[in-house]
Amino acid sequence: MIKPILEKAKLAIADAQDLKALDEIRVIFLGKKGELTALLKSLGTLSKEERPKMGEAINQAKTNVQTWLTDRKNHLETIELEKRLLEEQVDVSLPGRHSEMGGLHPVTITLKRIQSLFAKNGFEVATGPEIEDDFHNFTALNIPEHHPARAMHDTFYFNESTVLRTHTSPVQIRTLEKQKPPVRVIAPGRVYRCDSDITHTPMFHQVEGLIVDKNANFAQLKGLLIDFLRAYFEKEDLQVRFRPSYFPFTEPSAEADIECVICGGEGCRVCKKTGWLEVLGCGVVHPNVLNSVDIDSEEFTGLAFGMGVERLAMLRYGVTDLRLFFENDIRFLKQFK
Amino acid sequence: MNISTSWLREWISPVVTDEILAEQLTMAGLEVDGIETVAPAFSKVVVGHVVSCEKHPDADKLNLCQVDVGEAETVQIICGAKNVRTGLKVMAALVGAKLPGDFKIKKAKLRGVESFGMICSESELGISDSSEGIAELDVEATIGQDVREYLDLDDHIIELDITPNRGDCFSVLGVAREVSANYNMAFVMPDIEITAMGKSSVATSVSNTSACPKYLTRSIKGIDNSVQTPQWMADKLKRSGQSTHSPVVDVTNYVLMELGQPMHAFDLAKIQGDIQVRNAKLGETVDLLNDSTVELKDDTLVITDAKSVLAIAGVMGGEASSTQTTTTDILLESAFFEPVSIAGKARNYGLHTESSLRFERGVDFNITELALDRAAQLVIEICGGKASEITKSVDESALPKLEPITITQAKIQKILGFELDSNWIEEKFINLDFEISDKTSNSWTIIPPSFRFDIRIPADLIEELARLYGYDKLPVQKLSLDANINVIKEAQIDKYDVMQALVSRGYQEVITYSFISEKYQDLINPLAKKITLKNPISADMSTMRSSLWAGLLQTVESNQRRGHTDARFFEIGLCFDGVKADEQSNKLAGIVSGNRFNAQWSSELQPLDFFDAKADLESLLSFTSATFDFEAAEHPALQKGQSAKISLNGEQVGWIGALSPAVQKELSLPKCYLYEVDLNAILAGKIAKYESFSSYQQAQRDIALVVDQATPVAALTQSINELKQTHFVSVSLFDVYSGEHIESGKKSVALSLTYQSLEATLADDEVNTKVDEVLALMKDKFSATLR
Repeated sequence: MIKPILEKAKLAIADAQDLKALDEIRVIFLGKKGELTALLKSLGTLSKEERPKMGEAINQAKTNVQTWLTDRKNHLETIELEKRLLEEQVDVSLPGRHSEMGGLHPVTITLKRIQSLFAKNGFEVATGPEIEDDFHNFTALNIPEHHPARAMHDTFYFNESTVLRTHTSPVQIRTLEKQKPPVRVIAPGRVYRCDSDITHTPMFHQVEGLIVDKNANFAQLKGLLIDFLRAYFEKEDLQVRFRPSYFPFTEPSAEADIECVICGGEGCRVCKKTGWLEVLGCGVVHPNVLNSVDIDSEEFTGLAFGMGVERLAMLRYGVTDLRLFFENDIRFLKQFK
Repeated sequence: MNISTSWLREWISPVVTDEILAEQLTMAGLEVDGIETVAPAFSKVVVGHVVSCEKHPDADKLNLCQVDVGEAETVQIICGAKNVRTGLKVMAALVGAKLPGDFKIKKAKLRGVESFGMICSESELGISDSSEGIAELDVEATIGQDVREYLDLDDHIIELDITPNRGDCFSVLGVAREVSANYNMAFVMPDIEITAMGKSSVATSVSNTSACPKYLTRSIKGIDNSVQTPQWMADKLKRSGQSTHSPVVDVTNYVLMELGQPMHAFDLAKIQGDIQVRNAKLGETVDLLNDSTVELKDDTLVITDAKSVLAIAGVMGGEASSTQTTTTDILLESAFFEPVSIAGKARNYGLHTESSLRFERGVDFNITELALDRAAQLVIEICGGKASEITKSVDESALPKLEPITITQAKIQKILGFELDSNWIEEKFINLDFEISDKTSNSWTIIPPSFRFDIRIPADLIEELARLYGYDKLPVQKLSLDANINVIKEAQIDKYDVMQALVSRGYQEVITYSFISEKYQDLINPLAKKITLKNPISADMSTMRSSLWAGLLQTVESNQRRGHTDARFFEIGLCFDGVKADEQSNKLAGIVSGNRFNAQWSSELQPLDFFDAKADLESLLSFTSATFDFEAAEHPALQKGQSAKISLNGEQVGWIGALSPAVQKELSLPKCYLYEVDLNAILAGKIAKYESFSSYQQAQRDIALVVDQATPVAALTQSINELKQTHFVSVSLFDVYSGEHIESGKKSVALSLTYQSLEATLADDEVNTKVDEVLALMKDKFSATLR
C-alpha cells in the first residue's frame, strides 16, 4: 500500500518543474490531507501488533518523500538562480556610471611634491603677498635703488614703491620679521616679470627656502639640495654641481646644475649641449639681509635657496613649451593625473 | 659679453683646450652661456693669388682664372663672381677640399673648360651669413697659407654671462685676471708706450666730483681718420660682438673691450671753449649718436662745452661733436664715473650701452690713465698724429675708499663648514691682487684692488676663497637643527584636500594670470577698485583681478573654441582689493558649463543647473562643520534670480550663480554657473568632539506645508531649528512641489522631522505635540497650511 504511493510521489517530484508545483506535490503527499498523512491516520484501524510496524514504515516513507522534495527543491532553486543570474548578466566592459575625474594643474602637482619633500625635513610653508612694496622685494634683500640687479628683474610696477613681486624672496623678510631663529621654511608662490616670449611668461612660480640657525653652513646647504634634487627626480646617483653665481641677498652665492635628465648628460638641445641643466639658485644669506630684520649675523647664519617650479615640472614631465602651463588647454592639463 | 679665446690667449694661455678653459670659467663664477667656433669645419682652402683672369670662351658670366696657390704651377679655376680680377688675393678651395654643408670640391668641366677648384665667398665658408662676391683678402696675405690659419678660424667665441657684481670682468684684461687667479699663472699685457708732447688746448673742470672723481682728456692732432681699421682689430671687434666704424671709434671700442675702460672721442674742431662735467639743467637736450634727441633730467651727469651738451656722461656721446672720417683733431676722454651716479640713467632714457653697462657696475679707477695711453698709442699707430699730455681733473677724496677687511679662519669655517689651509688662503689672496695689509696665524686683513667693487665685507672674501677652491670640492653635510615636531593644526583644513575633493567631482584645476583686461574686470566687478600696472605686457594683462572668474571664463571660452564644451574648472589664487598685504586674499572659484555628465550609455544628456554648482560648492563647505547661508542677492556678473550671496556668521564670504545673460552674450559664452569663496573661510574647520547618541528609537514625522512660492525653504528649516525643541534631532527637506492640486503662486514643501530622547522611546502624543508646535510656528511665520 505504501509502495505505490512512494512510486507515485517519486515520479511526481521528479516531474515538478517549479517550486510551486513541488509545493503542491508536498501537499498531496505530506499535507494535512495528504496521502501519507491519511495512511498515518488510518493506523487506528490496524491491530496492536501491526500498528508499530506500519507506523514505522509510514514515517520512513514520509522521510523519504521529504528528502526527495528537498533534493528536488534545491535542484529547482539552483536552476532558478542560474536563470536569474543569466538575466542579470551585465557587460562588465561598460564604463562605470559617471566616473570622470578631474585633475590638478601640473604646477600644483610639482609644488605639492616639492612641499612634501621639504616637509619631511622639517620645513614649514610660509606665504606672502604678491603685490609687494619696494622694501620687501628689493631694499631689505640688499638690492638698493639703482642696483644693477633691479634692472635684471624686469619689474612690473604699480607706482614707484609698489611692485608685483619678482621673486619669492620677500617671504624671507616677512618670515624673519615675525619669527625668530631657528627658522626652516619654504615659500611657494607666484612671481612676476615683465617679460614674455617663447621661454618667458610674465607670471611663473618659485619655491623659496630659508634656514636660519646658529650652526647652519654652506656644506649643509649643498647636502640638503643634493638630497632634494635626487629625491625630486627619484634618481639616487643624479649628478649635481654647484657653481659660483651672484644674488644680492646671498654671499657666497651659488647656482646648482643637475645632469641633463633628458639626455643623461650626453649633451642635447635642452641642455644646450652642456650636459647640465641649471635648476636652482642658493647661498648663505647676506649679512645685510639679516641685519635688516635685526638678526645678529655674527651669531646666526642664514641659508637660502630658490627654484623655478615650471622649470622642474618641464624637466620632470618632458614639457617643451613653458607657455602651455598658462594656456589651460584641457588637452594639456588632462595629461597630469 | 663675447670674448675670443685667441685674443684671451695673447694675454694668458693655460695649456688646456678652449672647452676646458670655458668650463673652468663657469665653475669659477663666470658663467659660459655658449662656446662657438668662428667658422664651421672646412679643409683645403688656401690663400690664392689671381695671376690672370680672362673671360671664359663660351660663357659671358664666367671667368677663367690662373691662381697661384703657392705650388710649382698655378691652378686653373673658373669663377663666376663679378669682383674676381687679376692681382686679387682670394680664398681658393682646392680639389679634395671639404666645404661646410658636406660640399666636396672635385675637378670639373664648365662649358668645355676644366676647373680645378673654387674661389670662395665668406658665406660659402660659413664665416659670415651673407656676402657679395668672393672675399678679397689683404694684399699682404701669404700665398698658399691655409685660410683657417690665416684668418684664425679655429678661434672660439666664449659667450660670458657676467653677473652684476663682476663689472671687472667685462674686458679681456678682466677675464685674463680671472684665468690667472684660477690657473695660478701670470698674464702678459701688451706694451703700452706713447710719446706725448705739449698741453691739450681744451681745459676741463668738474663741478660734481662725487659723481665724476676723475676726468682725463688728451688731444691728438693731425690724424687721418679715413684709413681702414686694420684687419686684426676689425676681427677682434667683430668676434667681441662689436661692429666697426672709423678707426678712432674702433680704437675706443677696442680699448673698452681690452681694458674695460669706456672711452669717448670728440672731434676737437667741434668743441667750443672748455669742457665742463656737471649735472644737466632741466630741459637741456642733446642729439645722441643713435639719432635720438633726449630731454635731460637734472640728475643726469653730462659733458658740456661752452655752448652745449656734448654727451651723457658714461652713457653715450652726442652727434654734434662726434668724429667723422674727415676729422683730423680729436679729444680723447677717459674718466671714472661713480657707479651709483650712472646707475639707472641709461635706462631712464631707454638706452643701454657698453659704456653704461660697465660704469654702472664699476670701472677700475686706477686704469683711467693707462687706457688713455693705450688709445692714443693705437690711434697714432693707425691714423698718425701727435698726442698731447693728459689734462687731469681729479678729486682723490671722492674716489671709492678701499677699506681693509678682516677675515678669520673661524669665520671661514663657520660659513663653509670646514677649514681651509692658511698658506692656500694667502696664495689665493695674492692671486686675486688682494693686498694683505695685516695677518695673524688665523686671520688676514686685506685691501681689495680698485677694480673689485664687490669685495667689501668678510663674506665677500669667503666667496672668493670658496669659488677658487671649487664649489664642487666643498664638503657636503647633513642639515643639523634641533628637530622639533612641527605643530599641525588639525582644525586648519588642508588646501590640497579641498582641491582633491573638487578633482574627485570632475574638476580640472587651472592657473590663470593674476592680471586681466580692464574689460573683464568691468564686466565681472565694475565696482571693484582698479589696480592697474604701470607697465603691463599688454592691455589684456593690465588690471589685477578682484575675482578669479575672469580667468575661469576665459578658460571656458578658449576650450569651447577648441571643441571642449563640457567644463568643470577651478582655481585657487590671490585676488586683489588693494595693494597692501592685507588687501590681497586667497579665493577659490569654480565654473561649470555644459552637461551634468559626459555622454554615456547609462543616461540621457542633462544640462547642468544651479544646483549642480551648489552641490559642488557644498561638498567643499562641508569640510568645515560651519553653516554657510545662501541668500538671494544680485551681482553684476550673475543672472538675476539665480544668484546668491554666501555668508558665514553674518559675514559675506562668497557668491554663487548663473552667469548673467548679458555677460554671457558679451563674451560669447555658453550657459555657465560660477561660484567663488574666500579660501580662509572654507579652510577654517574645527576639531571633532564626540557626543553620545541615543539608543532609543527615534520618531519621524513627515509634514507637507503649502507656502508662498517666494518663501525660501531655508527660512522654514532655519526657523524650525531655531525653535530648539527638546528631543529635536533634525529637520530635512525631501520634496518641493508646485503645479496640479497646488494653488498657483504657492508651493508644497515636504519636510521630515526627527525626534529622539536619550532616556526613553518617545510616546506618540509627545511627538504629536511637538509637531503641532512646529505647524503653529509655520502658520504664524509663513502662513503655511498643512497640505
